[in-house]
Amino acid sequence: MSGALLQAAGVGIEFGGLRALHAFDLEIRQGDLKGLIGPNGAGKTTAFNLLTGVYVPTHGEIRVCGERVNGRQPHQINHLGLARTFQNIRLFRALTALDNVRVACLSDETPLFSRSRIDELRRRSAGRSPVAGAMDALNNYVDWWRALLLTPGFQEEEQEITRRAEELLKVMGLSQRRDEEARNLPYGEQRRLEIARALGTRPRVLLLDEPAAGMNTREKADLMVLIRQLRDQFELGILVIEHDMKLVMGICEDITVLDHGVTIASGAPERVRQDPKVIEAYLGDSYLAAHGMQVPPRSPTTETPAT
Amino acid sequence: MSDFAQHLINGVAAGTIYALVALGYTMVYGVLKLINFAHGDVMMVGTFMGYAVAQKLGDEHQSTLWGALLIFLVAMVGCAVLGFLIERFAYRPLRDKPRLTALITAIGISFTLSYGFQLDIPPLPGAAPRAFPEIIIPKEWLIVGDRAVVIWNWQVISLSIAIGLMLMLQGLVYRTRFGRAMRAVSFDHRTAALMGIPVDRIIALTFMLGSALAAGAGILYAIKDTAIQPLMGLYVGLKAFVAAVIGGIGNVPGAVVGGLLLGLVEEFVVGYSSSSWRDAVAFGFLIVVLLVRPGGLFGSVTAEKV
Amino acid sequence: MPAWLRGLVPVLIAIAVLAVLQLVLGEFPFFVYLASIVGVNVILAVSLNIVNGMTGQFSIGHAGFMAVGAYTAGKLSLLLKDVAIAGLPTMVSDQVQFVGTLLAGGVAAALCGFIVGLPSLRLRGDYLAIVTLGFGEIIRVIVQNLDMFGRALGLSGIPQTSSFFAVWFCVFLVVLVARRIVGSTHGRSLWAIREDEVAAEAMGVNTTGYKVRAFVISSFFAGVAGGLFAHFVPIINPGSFTFVKSIEVVVMVVLGGLGSTTGAIVAAIFLTLLPEALRTLFLQLGGLGAGASLAQKVDQIRMPVYGMLLVILMLVRPQGLFGTREVWDVLPRWWPGARKGIT
Repeated sequence: MSGALLQAAGVGIEFGGLRALHAFDLEIRQGDLKGLIGPNGAGKTTAFNLLTGVYVPTHGEIRVCGERVNGRQPHQINHLGLARTFQNIRLFRALTALDNVRVACLSDETPLFSRSRIDELRRRSAGRSPVAGAMDALNNYVDWWRALLLTPGFQEEEQEITRRAEELLKVMGLSQRRDEEARNLPYGEQRRLEIARALGTRPRVLLLDEPAAGMNTREKADLMVLIRQLRDQFELGILVIEHDMKLVMGICEDITVLDHGVTIASGAPERVRQDPKVIEAYLGDSYLAAHGMQVPPRSPTTETPAT
Repeated sequence: MSDFAQHLINGVAAGTIYALVALGYTMVYGVLKLINFAHGDVMMVGTFMGYAVAQKLGDEHQSTLWGALLIFLVAMVGCAVLGFLIERFAYRPLRDKPRLTALITAIGISFTLSYGFQLDIPPLPGAAPRAFPEIIIPKEWLIVGDRAVVIWNWQVISLSIAIGLMLMLQGLVYRTRFGRAMRAVSFDHRTAALMGIPVDRIIALTFMLGSALAAGAGILYAIKDTAIQPLMGLYVGLKAFVAAVIGGIGNVPGAVVGGLLLGLVEEFVVGYSSSSWRDAVAFGFLIVVLLVRPGGLFGSVTAEKV
Repeated sequence: MPAWLRGLVPVLIAIAVLAVLQLVLGEFPFFVYLASIVGVNVILAVSLNIVNGMTGQFSIGHAGFMAVGAYTAGKLSLLLKDVAIAGLPTMVSDQVQFVGTLLAGGVAAALCGFIVGLPSLRLRGDYLAIVTLGFGEIIRVIVQNLDMFGRALGLSGIPQTSSFFAVWFCVFLVVLVARRIVGSTHGRSLWAIREDEVAAEAMGVNTTGYKVRAFVISSFFAGVAGGLFAHFVPIINPGSFTFVKSIEVVVMVVLGGLGSTTGAIVAAIFLTLLPEALRTLFLQLGGLGAGASLAQKVDQIRMPVYGMLLVILMLVRPQGLFGTREVWDVLPRWWPGARKGIT
């Protein structure tokens, strides 16, 4: 597919008088593995929240698979092909590992109104179609009825969901944890489970929010390999927020650097690493001065307060 | 026209009482993010405490200035203690649990107090309504025209006391260190703790303050409505909570505005239709407001940090 | 067993068992009355558990939906009292009418659930509690002010066409619904909403939609419970559907364990039978004098005891009796219903 899977153009958001993100541009295509980095409070998770619909942008436009998603509900954006993990793990703690993934593997069954008709209605009214909403609701009610009657078709769908979920657990190396409650899993496995769960929604683009946080060196190395593998196996575009420079430099082909809500650099890892603006943001201008580098001039928009 | 004016006055009188109780709700919600269902019943306990004191004082003393002050004082202090005990033993252990747990506890306490006081086991008062003694001998304060509009002395006194209490609270919340600490805790109690604010103590004091105000409101309510019974807390409490939500829960001036608005709307609806619709008004009003402005009139819908 | 049969077998077994019980025990009116009261409470508790337990919301106005069902079904029955369906023996015609009114009551309650739920489930959790409470009160006030519902005196003379079979078949139905929903993708989505709504939404679950649906189904059954109630008590009036009743059901669900259908059933049975048992005990022991006044005290003391029970439960054992577990969790693996985890 030639089109971009995820596009952000001039995206920004203000909370009261605070500009948390400003003029954010990003494009993810299939096969991309991009990174989003920056000091704490730079606006990285805010960007994720904007892209996934948790926040509504006050400026700019976001498109998923070509469709404009400003103001759409997160679950709708997910259906369009965007999935994410969370900075602070947000698993369904009392559910088993299998069930965590099964929740995400919602069936595509549409007993009453066809999916394409609903999507078309939605597309034409830019996401706000009460008729489409009603059709979705009716589909769902009929599906609950089928669940109640335990129709053969329904039983098959359940088996399919279970099969898909088990497959994903296998890919992430969690098969033996299938019936374990999510809250009992060790930390590293919880992070992997979150990824498995996100994959259950059959995304085209995957957003990983600090997937390596709290992992030891070996786990991080394994994760790096895994992320690349997932990108290839599931034909995804991936965007990673990370603090660990080795991981980011190791797997990302393109890096965007945020500071105080503004993009201060973007491009290939080597170039970004040597950009004085980036060094200053992380290490401060005294470091630059000590190493004989020039302090770059302040661009007007960096005056915005941090998130 | 005179009807309108009369309704206006009655509405304001009722509204200030709702406002006083609503303030307690909103303050507690601010610091604990908890709907203290039991708040209205604390008010009821205060009213009965005042009743007991008035009985002890006897007809002669209860209507003097000192008598009335004593009644107020005992009720307010008594409720402050009650509020402290409830917070300490029922809510504090649940501070880090999901909010649903504390909500259920609140309902439990509300029921224990209201239906407990209904039991016919002395010293509990029992279900039968009692007449609150006249601690203010009613005298007409202002008559307009040919008794077209009558303002009673107790209405004026009641309004003044209510306004006085509200102004004191306003000063407390916005001009003292305690008030600043309270507002800090309501924004983020973990950060406030890191800043050295004794969060437990602030929360306890907030509870005590809110309960004391509720007791004051309860006495004023008893002066207005005369008949008191153990279930009064449930209804007044719920309506005051509605008032707090309408004004924007957690917002102090909002609670006052909400209370006044509710008192007026209730009075006008009942005045122009019939009193049997009274209880439905508050909730109907609430639903309308929530549909149009989910955060309440002055509130803001805070997005959860993801 | 062929797939299409799996769904039907439990229903057939239930009909058979209940029919036998009806034949044997239907001759004892006191037993039938008691069993009906218990059954109605079980339906209320299990249906409320779908919203409060499985979905993690907080609805405290269940009695309002019960009232809608009771008054709708009751009024319809009264209107159709002298009407019979041609060609059918009277008893059958009566039962058909009865079932019709039950459905009408359930649907009316479900509709109310939709109207109440849709705007309020979008709001924060605590708000739902107040709105549902308010709804219950509004219903009560409306009914008290309308002549067609008998105002404060209520409706009397409703044909007493309910039976042990009818009530307990409905109990079976609500438990079946709870069970089948839970074991399905929809149930898992509800649990996900309970565990972490933001994450559920991010994983493609239409959280508002699901919450509304749970609410509607729960209200439907509350309405059916109300309709059943109207057909085995001599009079229904607003006093039967107060806030107190709502809280009683909440106590049952909390005691049983928020999320456990088994817990809801056990707690409902226990909390319905206990006051009855105590009352009977005091009457037996004390005779008509002291015994009667003690029996009366049981009713009075129930409410503050429930209150204290809630407080103590939250402090000591917030997961209630069963937590989120079900009786079928401890069944051997080969039993067709056994499963792992919650869902």
